[in-house]
Amino acid sequence: MSASAAEVRALRSQIRTWRRGRVDTSLMEALSDAYVVVFSALVLGAMAVNVILNVHVITSGGCSSVSCLDARDALGWLFGLGAITVVLATARLLGPMLVTPAVGTWLLTAPLDRTALVRGRLLGTSVVAALVGAALAATGAALSAYPVDVIGWLTLLAGSVCVLLVAIATVDQARGGPVVRLLVWSLGVVLWLGLVLVARDDVPALLRVPAVAPLRVGVVVTAVAGVVLLVLAYRSLHLIRRERLVSGGNLLPGISGALASLDLTLFYDILVARHWRARSSVRVVRGRGSGAGALVWREVVRLRRTPQVLIGLAAALVLPYLATALGLGHVMVVAVTLTGFGAGVGLFTSLRVLSRTASLLRCFPLPASTVRLACLGVPCLALLLWSLATTPAVHGAVGGSWASCVAVALACGAASATAAVRWMTSHPPDYRLPLITSPMGAVPTSLYVSVLRGFDVLLLGTVPLLISPTPTGAAWTAGLMAAVLAFLVSRP
Amino acid sequence: MSKPAKPSKTPPLLRVRGLTKKFGDIEVLSGVDLTVTAGRALALRGRNGAGKSTLLRCVTGVDAPTAGSVELDGEPVDERSVAVRRDLAIVLDDMDFFPDLSVIEHLDLFARAHGVPDAEALVDAVVEEVRLTAQAAQLPGTLSSGQKRRLALASAFVRPRRLLVLDEPEARLDQAGLEWLTERLLKEKADGLGILLASHDPDLVKAVADRVLDLDELSP
Repeated sequence: MSASAAEVRALRSQIRTWRRGRVDTSLMEALSDAYVVVFSALVLGAMAVNVILNVHVITSGGCSSVSCLDARDALGWLFGLGAITVVLATARLLGPMLVTPAVGTWLLTAPLDRTALVRGRLLGTSVVAALVGAALAATGAALSAYPVDVIGWLTLLAGSVCVLLVAIATVDQARGGPVVRLLVWSLGVVLWLGLVLVARDDVPALLRVPAVAPLRVGVVVTAVAGVVLLVLAYRSLHLIRRERLVSGGNLLPGISGALASLDLTLFYDILVARHWRARSSVRVVRGRGSGAGALVWREVVRLRRTPQVLIGLAAALVLPYLATALGLGHVMVVAVTLTGFGAGVGLFTSLRVLSRTASLLRCFPLPASTVRLACLGVPCLALLLWSLATTPAVHGAVGGSWASCVAVALACGAASATAAVRWMTSHPPDYRLPLITSPMGAVPTSLYVSVLRGFDVLLLGTVPLLISPTPTGAAWTAGLMAAVLAFLVSRP
Repeated sequence: MSKPAKPSKTPPLLRVRGLTKKFGDIEVLSGVDLTVTAGRALALRGRNGAGKSTLLRCVTGVDAPTAGSVELDGEPVDERSVAVRRDLAIVLDDMDFFPDLSVIEHLDLFARAHGVPDAEALVDAVVEEVRLTAQAAQLPGTLSSGQKRRLALASAFVRPRRLLVLDEPEARLDQAGLEWLTERLLKEKADGLGILLASHDPDLVKAVADRVLDLDELSP
């Protein structure tokens, strides 16, 4: 027999009492200890608001052509759509309902009312999702120089849509359906189509600056739907299986740990491992060749096995063209290198596995540099081909001969690929190094720079192209990247 | 209790002289000497923390000893050396796997990387031998710890090797797995391979090892 909500409340109260008994720091003391973090957050927040306001002013005045105005108007909408897509994808990744592994082991196995155990989480998740979605949408709307009242209503709309989506995701989690997965993909496709239309300078009327009246109606409708679905979600809470509640709870500590130590590659490892665990098995493809050739063939198989990475890379091709449509000029090369790096880093998984421990590397009877080269050849080639496809966008942005633009595009690809190799071969922060005293405790000297790995090489490769988007700049980038790649590959 | 060493005329495949390993001020191993010859097995025994895994990591060149030398065929062992990797088949406790390659694909890759002529047939045979046929298409993330251990052990048997270095190979294996492992190691010995293993299983040590080195007796 399931215990009543009152009993669950009493149990939670008991746990709270135990925890309070072990408290050795008051809230004020904790805030005092974390003053640097709080102060930094306030300063960074103020800076971010200032930047957004300045960009608002600049875009209001500097963007005067029809195509630029259309693109700017549409980006506000698309930013909002992106925000809710990110919120929904994150909700799907974590549950959205989750419990800590300890609660999963000790309380979910007991005959307690599960609704009472997780209802607080439903409320908390909805509030967080609404705040994150609203903040991101407001940022996008402000950057697009929408009128203040439109920004306000759009923010409310994004917030209420996020609550609605969290409720849908909770119901879907309880029923075990594919709704959220399809929804995430659908939102992604709509977002991509919107970006394509903007890049083609073919912005539909739907994506212009919205009128306040339909926004108000949208807010009311989504808010009402959100409340109704929240009630449905609440009633579904007891149907969520323990395994599905614990899954997100197991993932969260790993992600938190990786982010707390600023180890983004570890964060990536966690997501990749989860993806492949969920897939469970694959159609076996036998090897070909021998020696380093066998490794190269495996990379080809890996690419065929993970079409989503290639699809993502192909879809991301729209961003350089969008940058050209927005009239960013030479800065457009940043869009190419950054997009190539972000979308292409997933191609280098085997290099990551070989770099995080030496246990696999020592199984191969080849020099470490040969193994690494064999593993990065196919992904680098894929990224270079991708960068070649950005040539028309480069031509539109920086002009010059087509041969010159091909050189610049390929140099961008080389920078993206080298940055991805740097990111994937990075080591975690080394706690054997001298530790620095900080308000957050002792931290190793390599902690702060570890988060910059990859981006440092990207910057190094992009600067010559920013200064001179010509074959000369491309040659400098290619030379620098070749040197960096040689160093990364030949490391012991 | 150590078995008496059998005199051997063949030169040692692996020779360790005066190996010392310190972590900071803590001396884990002090002046360890050992040899492994072809067709013979040496087992390391000792309580938890006696330094068995540390010794194996130093012997295989994964970690550098603080003092002393490790030689394979008279050449210093460095795991970065291609020749060492070709001759030494190592299964330590830190085996990693590619998340997106299936069981059979892992073994296929190792065999081909080592230039095994008929890789496919050998891999199929080893997969069957380690009883992973049903899991051949499975990804490592979905294997049980015992199945992962069998996959790690199988990786040592699909490639050319002269010396097997195994750290607690019996760990997480079921009874059938233990029996298979014992038979396999005896066969490896009969085929002329040298074996260096650390183990807590007295039955496995008794069946396979020609000599036993008790690290508790050498504790610094």
